[in-house]
Amino acid sequence: MAPIFKASEVHKRFGDHVVLENINLQFKSDCLSGIMGPNGAGKTTCFNVLTGKYKPDRGRIEFQGEDITGLAPHEIARKGISRSFQTMNLFNEFTVLENILIALKEVREHGFDFMHLLARESEVAAKAEKILSLVGLSGKEYHRTSDLAYGDRRSLEIGVALAAEPSLLFLDEPTSGLGAKATTQLLDLIHRLKQKYTIVMIEHDMNFLFELADSISVIHWGQVIAYGTPDTLRDNKWVKQSMLGEGA
Amino acid sequence: MTEAILEVRNIVKIYKRGLFNPSETFRLEANFTIRESNVIGVMGPNGSGKTTIFELITGSNQPSSGSVMILGKNIHNVKYSERDQLAMHYHQSYQVRRFRRTKPSFLLSPASRKAPIIHLFDEPQFNIQDGYIGFMLDFFRKLRAQDKLIFVCLHPNELYHVELMREICEKFLFVMNGKIYEFPNFDSMLQMHEFRAYLGKLAPDSTRSND
Repeated sequence: MAPIFKASEVHKRFGDHVVLENINLQFKSDCLSGIMGPNGAGKTTCFNVLTGKYKPDRGRIEFQGEDITGLAPHEIARKGISRSFQTMNLFNEFTVLENILIALKEVREHGFDFMHLLARESEVAAKAEKILSLVGLSGKEYHRTSDLAYGDRRSLEIGVALAAEPSLLFLDEPTSGLGAKATTQLLDLIHRLKQKYTIVMIEHDMNFLFELADSISVIHWGQVIAYGTPDTLRDNKWVKQSMLGEGA
Repeated sequence: MTEAILEVRNIVKIYKRGLFNPSETFRLEANFTIRESNVIGVMGPNGSGKTTIFELITGSNQPSSGSVMILGKNIHNVKYSERDQLAMHYHQSYQVRRFRRTKPSFLLSPASRKAPIIHLFDEPQFNIQDGYIGFMLDFFRKLRAQDKLIFVCLHPNELYHVELMREICEKFLFVMNGKIYEFPNFDSMLQMHEFRAYLGKLAPDSTRSND
């Protein structure tokens, strides 16, 4: 099966500094593909190039067989790619429901003023409700976003990304800043999303990714230094040693 | 005979201080040739010139005299933006230094290569807590299998750092006080008194047999 998303020989530099050197990545439909690497390895830069924030200097990026290299982020989003961010982007003064509504296609097409009007329409409301229940925020529709716990905000952010009905969902370090309990909650959420969506996830936390991913690319020095299934990657003296260290 | 991958020809780099009566603060001298693909370990105390020699090889730092030839090309005559297509320096962001450029780019020649042939790893973060070491070592091996020349520079703080270097590197350079000493293997480097003194407590037991 052809991959839904493909990056070939992508090269990116900032001035003299090479940040991505010859990156090759392929993400398959209905799979969760992971990108992991130590701090400062170039994971987020890689994400930003894949989702259009930065234009690559060389190389080609394809989505569903179409060349999307160099397209602006909103054009890429319109083609069906949603992303979340390491630092959250939510409307804090709005309610949880409003944040989802704004992101829904029906609302965006009508413009902002119609938001409340449309919210009463059962179809749109049902859609928003469905997303909220998927991300585990049912019952918190009318909470102010700024009052949410950090873990819930992360869930809401994922909900916002889902409201765009993406064919491909990019998650940038979803566990960053989360405590143990919120991380477990997020693990459950992503397990559920995995059944319905094609996901690409950047993660620093190896264990989290080993739990969820079907395949993982290890990025360091702006390159893919290893690739494999969680089982093959886990079968490594140093990985095992680091896991033991955590358990102790 | 085919062209050597790297020739460092009588390189001298002098750092001076003072405007009217400059006095020399640091002098690095190097003269060595590496003909073929290799993994070369570079060790030496802080401030001995390890990063400077890497910068001279990548061309970002200009030598006071001498030249660096990569596959027969003088790196300092290659266009600035194409030098990393010959030699790539991997470092931590705090290690990045910028240098003044004296020649306009249009006077320089192209690299004529797409992918670098020399990879210089400057203090890769080898810590046991994250499990990435294994992937890094595999990556070095992969580059080696692609006939690249790999430099790994490490200032060892732990015993396993020394063991890692011993395991992955085929040849060694010991940098001390601006001088570079070349060794065909780790054990011959261990014979050098200054190197043993540098390792201190981390020096492998001399009574241990070499396999």
